[in-house]
Amino acid sequence: MSTTAIRFMLAAGIGLVLAQGAWATDEGAGTNAGCDGPSRDCVAVGHWNFDVSLGAGLRTDPVVYEAAIPLVVIPHVSYYGKRLFIEDLDFGITMTEGTAGTLSLTASPGYDRVFFYRSDLQNIFVPGAGVVTGGGAGPPPSPFPARPRHWTYLAGPEWTFETHGVTGQLDLLHEITAQNHGNEVRAALGIPLGAPGTTLSANVGLTWESAQIVNYYYGAPGVYEGGGSVNPFVKLSYSRPLRGRWRLLAFAHCERLGNAIADSPIVNARYVVTVFAGANYAF
Amino acid sequence: MLFASASLPAAAGASADPGVGIHFEIAPRLCTLAAKERQCTTVVHASWSAPQEESLCLVLSGRPDIKRCWEHYAAGTYSLELVFAQDLTFELRDPGLRNILASAVLRVIREALEYRHRRRQPWNIFD
Repeated sequence: MSTTAIRFMLAAGIGLVLAQGAWATDEGAGTNAGCDGPSRDCVAVGHWNFDVSLGAGLRTDPVVYEAAIPLVVIPHVSYYGKRLFIEDLDFGITMTEGTAGTLSLTASPGYDRVFFYRSDLQNIFVPGAGVVTGGGAGPPPSPFPARPRHWTYLAGPEWTFETHGVTGQLDLLHEITAQNHGNEVRAALGIPLGAPGTTLSANVGLTWESAQIVNYYYGAPGVYEGGGSVNPFVKLSYSRPLRGRWRLLAFAHCERLGNAIADSPIVNARYVVTVFAGANYAF
Repeated sequence: MLFASASLPAAAGASADPGVGIHFEIAPRLCTLAAKERQCTTVVHASWSAPQEESLCLVLSGRPDIKRCWEHYAAGTYSLELVFAQDLTFELRDPGLRNILASAVLRVIREALEYRHRRRQPWNIFD
């Protein structure tokens, strides 16, 4: 996927979001049909939400000399205003919401830094729900510590939808913190598999990272320079309500790194596996 | 937890149509739930009085386990601790429970909340 194509997609996406936003009424972000009480899919406007997952899990680290990242305590915090939303380290503005889907402008931290810094906040707030304790006071010794990978944020339009129980997400993101000026596409489908009352689901998707992002994290100046990378993933997850505000949950997530990342001399694994099993408590 | 009392019987011979002129009230009449609260827990005091002796029962609509009866009394009170999430209707009925002589409603008021769809993000690991 060329940089020109990505720029076109970003421009088209932003234009679509802004246009949709202009059509939105003053009453809010659009229709909230079916949202008249708290549920898994609906949240109260103007309130903070906290939950924490306790259990055991880990995320493998494909970077050489880096140990797997333990997952023990995973906090999750979110806030939804009429348009504004905060989900852990992500935040954004919902431009319009309707039966066809939701268009937002969103900002999200660059993901790959988690493999280089155990203290990265995304190793505490696992993207989407929360993480991790342990790991000691500092990063373990590495032969590649000389070049820092700074905290980055990407921003751009996000389209999400739900049809026949299947949820979809498409993010077209551009790095906005002047570290690598790269682009990223995040796309995924969530497919329910279980019976009502329990939640067994499969997620499939991919991340496309431009050469700028790939080289910012995995490049070795003078030694290795990669191109864009497509990283597909699959996830199976299960959850079931327990007593009160407790919920049982477990998942396994496997991401296949694209050649541009896997071929880097600082990467020694083709796959990143994340597994977790435990209980979640909503405050 | 139950508390009940009744006044002494009224003078014999004071009679009229049963159930006429009964004054019935409960306290509190409202329970207000905050956003995070799911149910009310409170002691409810019910009291009634009549210009003549009455034989009647206090019942709670939808809660057959709660019933308090009086025979030939002109007034009575009843207190009980209740846990509830919906409106409660207290009724004074004749001893056969066929006719409603008086009623009062304890209403549940929820903080007015607006809801919206949660962000769907199947790309994220924990979604």
